Amino acid sequence: MPGSEERADDRHLVEQATRGDREAFGSLVRRHQDRSFNVAYQVVRNRDDALDVAQDAFVKAFASLSSFKGEASFSTWLHRIVVNLAIDCLRRRRRGDPTTYDDRLAVPEEGGASQAAPDTPETALESRQVRSLLARGIQALPPAHRAVLVLREIEGLSYEEISRAVGCSLGTVMSRLFYARRKLQKVLGPNLEDLR
Amino acid sequence: MKRAHWLHIIGGRGRPLAAYAAGELPPAEQAHVAALVADCPACRREVESYQRVTAALRATPRVSLTTGEAATFLPEINRRIDRGQGARAPQARPGLREVVWDHPRVSLASAFTAALFIIGVTVSQWQMWGLSGTAGTNGVEVVSVEVAEDASVMVFQAPGSSLKIIWVFEDNAT
Repeated sequence: MPGSEERADDRHLVEQATRGDREAFGSLVRRHQDRSFNVAYQVVRNRDDALDVAQDAFVKAFASLSSFKGEASFSTWLHRIVVNLAIDCLRRRRRGDPTTYDDRLAVPEEGGASQAAPDTPETALESRQVRSLLARGIQALPPAHRAVLVLREIEGLSYEEISRAVGCSLGTVMSRLFYARRKLQKVLGPNLEDLR
Repeated sequence: MKRAHWLHIIGGRGRPLAAYAAGELPPAEQAHVAALVADCPACRREVESYQRVTAALRATPRVSLTTGEAATFLPEINRRIDRGQGARAPQARPGLREVVWDHPRVSLASAFTAALFIIGVTVSQWQMWGLSGTAGTNGVEVVSVEVAEDASVMVFQAPGSSLKIIWVFEDNAT
């Protein structure tokens, strides 16, 4: 989560962007584009869709900057837009084209994602298998549950921040998180021993 | 049965163990559950499996834009803003399965409504049969049935009508 200095900077940029300063808005985009893309990608699991969702989220954010009250951080506010668009994208995709599963999380693309590169072929293989298992497990979750899980476990947001980002109560966040974890536990089932 | 086993039966299907495994319970509750889990092997296995899932999730690498994607990211946003796409993209409504999945109360209410409907239909059928005597569901009564060696004759009549319907079943083999 952003520190207070970063939040203050964001707020200043938002004020300028609200007055029509496209340069300030560009700075906001550059500050948050990677994180927004990551959230979108973790939910939709498709690079092209994630790119489209993240860009659309900034377009929507620009259109509704005046409604940003500053109660939450800009990134939480932006997360809400990203997550809603990502969920929407998933629902549209599930109805239209159920075969767009993207396992690229298991093998990060060249020049793209990737931190913590494995150092031996064995660990690389294990790591890839684990990520593939997880990706399939997450893929089996309903969009709304997937979004909560991603925000909590991958983005590290608190329950309150997720509640604001997803626009539901704390109880719903806890409930969705629990069902997502349990579902993942069931889907991974016999392979859980590999997740060490 | 030991107290810890009750925790597994109830907690294993509820939230405490998953939240405990993720370290999300308040400190006092976390310590309390820890003590109970220590006394329950099944709870421990449950917690360990949740911990593996959580640890693997938290170790998921972040995905970032490639250099090429990053270079065109902002220009594309500006292009969309200039084209006035801020308010497009109609929202996809959640599917029935998602609505039910997200709201267990909806599924319970649906099951309850279905049960009420079935009971209602059954009771109304009983009433219909009980009140109309020989009348079937169409309200037609069987006036007479005659069975002969080579044919059978059934006469039906709607209550309150002089119209009679006569069915003759012939045995062609004879």
